[in-house]
This record gives sequence, structure tokens and C-alpha cells, in this order.
Amino acid sequence: MTKFISYCSSPFFRNVFVTLFMLFAATASSFFFFHSVDSIQNISILYILSTVLTARFTVGYLPGIVVSLAGVMSVNYLFTYPYNQINFTLSGYPVTFFGMLLISLITSASTSHMKKQGELLSKQEKILMEVEKEKVRANLLRAVSHDLRTPLTSMLGASSTYLENEPFLSDSEKRMFVFQIYEDCNWLLNMVENLLTITRISGETAKVTKNLELVEEVISEAFFRLKKRIPDANISVKVPEEPILVPMDALLIEQVILNLLENAISHSHSSKAIECVVRKDTSFMYCDIIDYGSGIPENQLDTIFDGCSHGQNESSDAKKGFGIGLSICKTIITAHQGTITARNHKEGAIFTFQLPMEDIDDEF
Amino acid sequence: MSFKLSVLIIEDEKNISSFICTTLTNQGYKVLKAATGKEGLSLLTSQCPDILLLDLGLPDMDGIVLLKEVRTWSELPILVISARIQENEKVQALDMGADDYITKPFGTKELLARIRTAIRHSKRLNFDPKFVQKPYHALDLTIDFEKRKVLLKEKEIHLTAVEFKLVSLLAQQSGRVLTYDYIITQIWGPYADKNNRILRVNMANIRRKLEANPAEPVYIFTEIGIGYRMIEDELS
Repeated sequence: MTKFISYCSSPFFRNVFVTLFMLFAATASSFFFFHSVDSIQNISILYILSTVLTARFTVGYLPGIVVSLAGVMSVNYLFTYPYNQINFTLSGYPVTFFGMLLISLITSASTSHMKKQGELLSKQEKILMEVEKEKVRANLLRAVSHDLRTPLTSMLGASSTYLENEPFLSDSEKRMFVFQIYEDCNWLLNMVENLLTITRISGETAKVTKNLELVEEVISEAFFRLKKRIPDANISVKVPEEPILVPMDALLIEQVILNLLENAISHSHSSKAIECVVRKDTSFMYCDIIDYGSGIPENQLDTIFDGCSHGQNESSDAKKGFGIGLSICKTIITAHQGTITARNHKEGAIFTFQLPMEDIDDEF
Repeated sequence: MSFKLSVLIIEDEKNISSFICTTLTNQGYKVLKAATGKEGLSLLTSQCPDILLLDLGLPDMDGIVLLKEVRTWSELPILVISARIQENEKVQALDMGADDYITKPFGTKELLARIRTAIRHSKRLNFDPKFVQKPYHALDLTIDFEKRKVLLKEKEIHLTAVEFKLVSLLAQQSGRVLTYDYIITQIWGPYADKNNRILRVNMANIRRKLEANPAEPVYIFTEIGIGYRMIEDELS
């Protein structure tokens, strides 16, 4: 059965089917006109129309030509006196014949041409999208390698100083070096985990495997991981009384929440509690991460999720990995068919992401 | 301590096994190291360690296969070492009989705590079969299995029958991760729908009754993509 269906959907079968159908439809309606209205002029028009339609819905020139030839033949054979015989001797008939053939050929050729151009356009669009994707990837890679270099240099320096000067170092100095390495390792780990999450999004289709997850569980997991890294993080979480189940890849969304919270802590320059508020309407679940700090500079609002929001002139070493975390958030949320936005409120910044409550693709 | 507890580490990364070895030796454990699955199996049978730390990615055999084989003849506690992203691997290991897992990279404190929990659990099962009948107690929460009562700060909490079953199941194996499939099979039977929506909703309702803030739980924790873990019983 499946073999049959795949055979039916092959271009060849489609061509044959469309051609036969068009001829049949044209002939049937011609008979109708011929016997009821008795207007012969319309019949040629009907055949020409069927030729145009055939050319439109098939691949290649051949079906259009076949329909036009068959049309000319049947007009001659069926609807022109003497009936039921081929006769080209009628006065003026060769003109009709060639005219009709020519019209058919030209329309069939031009629709084929139009279709080809359409295909070409969509192909070009695809290439453009590929280029755009490649650009994002290259940006990310550049930002990542830049950000990796800083802690690596620091670790290399600390460890080689330790190894080369061990006899001359005091205990507290040794401790300081090891602690420095420990801190940089933690930072690197965070970064690598962020990057690893992206590999869960399949490259070809940019889709994720979704499962129904309780939003509060994902938030609490992100919260626990944050507490491990920043024990004195001050965050208040508000979830609605009714449990919310949303289709998502929990590890990825957890990473988004973690990145947003961490971002809020390190960039708000404020000790006020960060709020994480979950709300929903019929089709979306929203999560706001609200901080009460210095807010986002206006000139960065548009590019903050692009992964290279260091600003060309500012020293990018000052704030490690500012953009990568956010661009990863954007990648993850987009792969979930959601949106993420950043804006300022009176006393700080709000990051909001929304996820569809139902799986849009219906692929469970 | 009259005798040292022995730990077998099966891990192919030398740096990792050497740092685990140093930490555990300093804590008074006797440590055995194996770099391959084969070596590990022979050490297991000849030395009979008290606990096994097993890395799932071994050069000569799949860690899951080794785990399966060991479980056919031994009940010793097994702690699986695995990477964070691979939830499937963890779930599989737990369902195959691993007692717990620890996620790479881990700190020494976390490792020691997990080892202590695993050893305590194995002892409890071996020497105290009536343990499950004792009430569970942690922080402000007490669960009396015989009277079927749940007390939070001395006040009785009303749970539905299913909710009570769920809490009891988690409490009786407190400190351990129970996988979604395991819980569903235990509560709703082996033929229940493996779609865990009903489990999630029940758990959300339990949290609303037990936790001050469901998003910052202190009693029942979620291991995303794997299952649930209840805070360790303080009476054990």
C-alpha cells in the first residue's frame, strides 16, 4: 500500500494523471456545450484552458504539448464537421489548428518557465537563511573562544607560577593560586555546560524533543544549581496556585532560567532580591525575571541577544561572557517556538520568555 | 574504627580516579582502583568491596552491561558516575539496579555524602527489615506509615489516598532517586500509562500541601528528566 502511495506521488504518475484528467474534463465539458448550447467557439477556449492548467500543475513541457495536440485533434475529430473523422481540408482550418497549437505551446512553455523561476527564488531564500545561520554560529564561536581564553590564561598563569616558584611561595599565596584556579574552573564549567545544552538542539531542523514538564520543578532545579554556584543569591519565586505543565526540553529551559538569573545577579549591581514570576494565559506560559538594578543601556537593548553585545569600544574582558549566555537563551527559546524579550522598567530590567502551552508541531 | 570500609572505583580517567582515591583515603576508606570493566569485575569478586563507584563510559565494556552482570549476584551498593546531559543513561542505570548516581563534574563533599547515604541504605536493608514500619522524620515533617498520618509542624496534613501512597513510597526510600517509571509501576501498577502527567500533577498537589513555596522545595526534590528524591530520614 505504501509502495503504491509513493508511486502515486512520483512526478511521472502525477504528470500522467493530471494530463488525463485535464483532457477528460475538457472533452466532457465540450460535449456538454456542444450538445446543449451548440456553441463551437467555446470548445477551443476550453481546450486551451486545459492546456494552461496542465502546464501549471505538471513538471516539464511534455504534458502541455500532449494536451494541446490532443485538444486540436479532438476539436477536429469530435466537434468539427465532418464529425468523427480527421479533416484538415476545411477552409481556414489550418490557421485555427496552428493558432491553437502555438498558443498551447507558448502558454505551456511560459508557465513552466515561471515555475522554474519560483523554484530558483525559494532556493536562493534557503541559501540566504543558511548564510544567516552560519553567521550566528560564527559569531557565537568567536565570542566563545574569546571568553574561554581569559580564564584559561589565568589558570595557566596561576598553575605555572605555582609549579615554578613553589619553594618561595607562602602558604597563603599557594592557597590563593589554587583558589584562583578553582574559581576559573567553575566559570569554565558553567560555560561548557551552556554550550553543551545547545548540542541538544538538532542542527538540521533546529528542533528539540519536548516532554510535558511542571514549570515549578524546572525553576526550582535551576534555582538549586544557582545556589550551588552563588550561595547568597537572593531570589524570590512566584508560581501560580494551579500547576502548569508545558511541553519543553527541561534541561534546556532550566539553562535559560539559570542564565537569566545569573545574568540578573551579576549585571544589576544591586543587592535587592531578584523576582522570578510565572504566569499563563490560554496559549502561552510566561516567565519574568525582574531585577532592581541599573537596567540595560538603551543602545544595547536591540542587540543584547546577539551574542556579541560587548560593544566595540568597551573592554570586553571586564564582564566575562556577557552575551553568550543570553544568545544561548535566545537559541533555546526559539527552538521551542517561543520568544524572549528584554526591556527596562522603572527600577531595573525585565527579561521575559514565553513558551507555547501546546505543542505547535503536535509531535509527541 | 575497627575496620575500614572498602570502595572500588571503576574509572578509566586516571586523573579522576586518583583525585577520588586521595579524597576517600583521607576520609578513612580503603580504596581499590580499576581502569577497565574486566579488571573491575575480577577485583569485585576477589576483594568484595563495600561499595562500587562505576563510571558508565568504560573502554572495554558498557558500564550498563557491567552493572547488569553485577546485579545478578551481588546486592552491594553501586554509585554510578555519569555526565549531566545524558538523562537516559542515568534512568537506565537506576532501573538496572544502581543505588544512586553522581553527575560529572562533582565536588568531593557531594561524593562523600552520596557514598555515606548509599552505604547506610544497604545496611538498613540488610539488618533492619522492619525499618519501613518506623515513622519517617525530617525537618518539620513526620510520616507515620502505620497510622497513615502525615504531620507538618505537628499539624496533620490531609492527603488523598494516591498522594499518601506517593509520599510513603518516596519516604521509605528517602535519599534515593526514584525514577518516574518505577514510581508509576509501584503506585498505578505495571500496565499503567507511562505518560507521567498524572504523576506530575499529583506531585504538584503534594508540594502545595507540604512545601512553603512549591518552587523552592525542601522535602521532595525533582531530578529533571529522571525522577524524584525525598530528603533523607533524620532517624536513620
